[in-house]
Amino acid sequence: MESPTSTFALLEQAQAGDREALSRAFEKYQRRLAVLIHFKLSERTRTFAEVDDILQETLLRAFRDIGHFSYQAPGSFLRWLSAIADHVIVDRVRYEGRERRAGEEIPFRSESNPGGPEPADSKTPSRLLAQREAVERLLSRLASLPEDYRNAILMAKIEGLSTAEMADRVGKSREAVALLVYRAVKRFRALSEADR
Amino acid sequence: MTDSEREQQLAEAFADLLDRKATETIPAELAADWNALAEIDRAVDPAALPEKLSGHRIVAEIGSGGMGRVLLAIDQALGRKVAIKTLAPRYADDAQLQARFMGEARALARVSHPHIVRIYNLGPPGEPPHFVMEYLEGAPLTRAAAALTFPQRAELMRKVVLAADFLHAQGIIHRDLKPGNILVGPDLEPKLLDFGLALDLGARERLSKIGEVAGTPEYFSPEQLEGGHLDARSDVFTLGSILYEVLSGAPAFGGGRDLPRRIRQEDPPLPRRIDPSIPKDLQNICLKALEKSPAHRYASAREMADDLRRYLADEPVLAEPAAYSRLIAGQVSDHLRDLKSWRHDQIVSEAEYDALRKRYERLVEREDAWIMEVRRLTLPQVTLYFGAWMLAVGAALLTFFPFPKLTGAPAVMVAWGAAVPTAWMGVRTWRSGYYRVAIAYLLAFCLVAPVAALVTLEETHIATALTQGQPRLELFHRLEFAKEATNAQLWWSIAAGLPVCWWFRRFTRAPVFSLMFAAMSALLALATLLRLGVLDCLDRDSGRFYLDLIPCAVLFMAAGFTFERLRMPDDSRYFYPFAVAFTLAALSGVATYQEPLANWLKAVAPWTRGQIEYLFILNAGIYFVLDRMCDRFESSQVRMVGKSFRFVIPGHVMTSLLLLGLAANSVAEQRIDEWLLPAVACVFVFASIPRQMKNFLVSGLVFLAIGVYRVQQEIFPSRAWWPVLLLVAGLGLMLAAANYAALRVAVGRVWNRR
Repeated sequence: MESPTSTFALLEQAQAGDREALSRAFEKYQRRLAVLIHFKLSERTRTFAEVDDILQETLLRAFRDIGHFSYQAPGSFLRWLSAIADHVIVDRVRYEGRERRAGEEIPFRSESNPGGPEPADSKTPSRLLAQREAVERLLSRLASLPEDYRNAILMAKIEGLSTAEMADRVGKSREAVALLVYRAVKRFRALSEADR
Repeated sequence: MTDSEREQQLAEAFADLLDRKATETIPAELAADWNALAEIDRAVDPAALPEKLSGHRIVAEIGSGGMGRVLLAIDQALGRKVAIKTLAPRYADDAQLQARFMGEARALARVSHPHIVRIYNLGPPGEPPHFVMEYLEGAPLTRAAAALTFPQRAELMRKVVLAADFLHAQGIIHRDLKPGNILVGPDLEPKLLDFGLALDLGARERLSKIGEVAGTPEYFSPEQLEGGHLDARSDVFTLGSILYEVLSGAPAFGGGRDLPRRIRQEDPPLPRRIDPSIPKDLQNICLKALEKSPAHRYASAREMADDLRRYLADEPVLAEPAAYSRLIAGQVSDHLRDLKSWRHDQIVSEAEYDALRKRYERLVEREDAWIMEVRRLTLPQVTLYFGAWMLAVGAALLTFFPFPKLTGAPAVMVAWGAAVPTAWMGVRTWRSGYYRVAIAYLLAFCLVAPVAALVTLEETHIATALTQGQPRLELFHRLEFAKEATNAQLWWSIAAGLPVCWWFRRFTRAPVFSLMFAAMSALLALATLLRLGVLDCLDRDSGRFYLDLIPCAVLFMAAGFTFERLRMPDDSRYFYPFAVAFTLAALSGVATYQEPLANWLKAVAPWTRGQIEYLFILNAGIYFVLDRMCDRFESSQVRMVGKSFRFVIPGHVMTSLLLLGLAANSVAEQRIDEWLLPAVACVFVFASIPRQMKNFLVSGLVFLAIGVYRVQQEIFPSRAWWPVLLLVAGLGLMLAAANYAALRVAVGRVWNRR
């Protein structure tokens, strides 16, 4: 049974115009999204502030475009958000050096603008990632993995893709992807055990 | 099996796990890897459900908001469901916020009300911050309301409003009421659920901290959006907003980024425009609560609940929202602009313009609801007046007539026994806001108080000195069956009533007490004349009495003028009519009864023989002068006085001429008067033009007919040419009037040629 706060129910409400519902759905996934953005960015641009900005702008665009989103399966919302984040990052690179447009179209809720959408968190997503020891550990472990292993784990675990979807995306067979993921997980586990 | 085959197999199994194809059992070899991944979930997913809180087993999440989640739990000791509200983990490091969360939960736990959710216990110190509440099943208010009749919705809202009022009485402003936080059970009893962190226990900074991320601005009040001072009336606005949605099914101010501006500046669309079946009374209540200025809303949630009760009891509600006059005012200013241009283009006459403008302004004028109530003749209202009048009449009987079995102290007690409770009830009901009832009580007291004072003076034998020591100058001594109160006693009791009226006027701001004050002043003026021995005149020279009224008239005129100058136009307007009445009575009385005046006239103009009619014509002249004098003033009230003098002139003049003609001594005089009457009537008919005096026209026409008849009867009996002449003259005049413009041009040409 769908609980009233399941992602599907929240998104239905969001598409009916309930912005708070969208905020709440977004809240569920914001940490995953932050991790994805963190690794989508190059080493040079990856500052906490940047992750925060992109996360916020992704949310803004989600607010704007929620009408175009269609729910297909669990995880499709995060995938949609992830795609938006890709666009945001591309736009960032393109408009590098120009005036930021963040918040221009739909300003976030604040005392002076209580009608705006709720920001992802009153604390910045960067702080959101930083404030929890577990997340910091996770980031450092993922960072020390080889890139293909890291991407495998991000796709499988953070983005929640099935192995078939991952195979589609990377252009390999499902067997190859399964093996890649398995090896990545083994390495990841080894890193975890080494930490202890 | 090779290692690589083995690895591939494990990888496939792991992939199946990831794809959720095999979730029943995790193979032992993969358990460690799986757990390593589960760590990722724990790191990035919002906190999963805790196992237990306050010893209750957590079952599911019921809801979650910006501030935290509400969980369903089972109280295993008592075997019942409970709801547990937790603070969002992202506030876990905010000790101050946590302390407040618990502090407010503690304050809430002290609140016990059937329509407010009950708090069972607070989370113990070792656990994450939470508190345990009653678990409720039901539908959110707006969804429940959709299936209900309007009276049922009103009853639901009344309970909600009373619950809010209960919180206000505890010094708590809710600040985050919304339909989603009001649950309606299957028994149609509403419960206020979520207090979020919106409770105001005096901490201002919390709003700045949490207000940015929490709260539902759709139901915020304008002052809440502006960060202004909040009191119970802020919740009244929110309740109005909720009532709006409960009635119409649509939020009052919609949503979107424009929402705050709309809440602050715009009136919501009329609910009845959304759904014409919404009762007007409920719309009124809703709009009154939604007034932008707190001062125009219900002063408390209790008042709003009272109005809902009135609606439910089929009584007229008090709410008369200013929104209507604003709605109309917007249109009216356009209409007025049109009107003005019509007048400018002379499409409408000055008089029509004036009349229409007044009507429009009346429409926009805001009147307090209770004044409308007072004017509406309903059964309770009429009964109220009836009772007040009976009270006054009873008191009057008590004063005027001696009752052998009710004298002395008991009589005084009876009189005050009637007066004091009316005053007390009046002030009390006024303070509790039942203005229409209070006015009746206070008015009754204004009438009864002087009576009671008089009875007291009579029975205690105070101020018993007779006017000039002569009983024949005492009013009450002349009335055979009346008590023997002295003029002095009468004067003092009326004088005692004056400050009472004045105070009521200041206390209630109701102009009716100004009328009362003016009327009592008039009575006092007459009582003063009594004390000056005016009754003497009745015996010897009745004209003197009317002469004495002239100072009264001047006094009232001066009083009215003074009040107006003191910027109290509502008080002054009642003095002028008394001044006019005194003047008319005095001048008419003097003309009728004052012999020296008649003698003077006889001496000055012997041909008048000092007849009353000439004196009345003289009065008309005086009125004309007074009118001219009044017209020099800016004040519209003084001009009205002038107009009332002007009004009586034609009656005075033409009636006198008619009577003179009837009572002429010689044929010549009769002829003069008979011709004069229609001539003067014609003058009045046309004198109506400059100031639009309709009564000049009407009385002129009437007296013209009478004059023509008199001429026919007395001068041209049975001469047919007289009526024929009238026919021709009438037709000629009508033709001339119809071709007025052409005629004027022609006359102008002839004139110029000369």
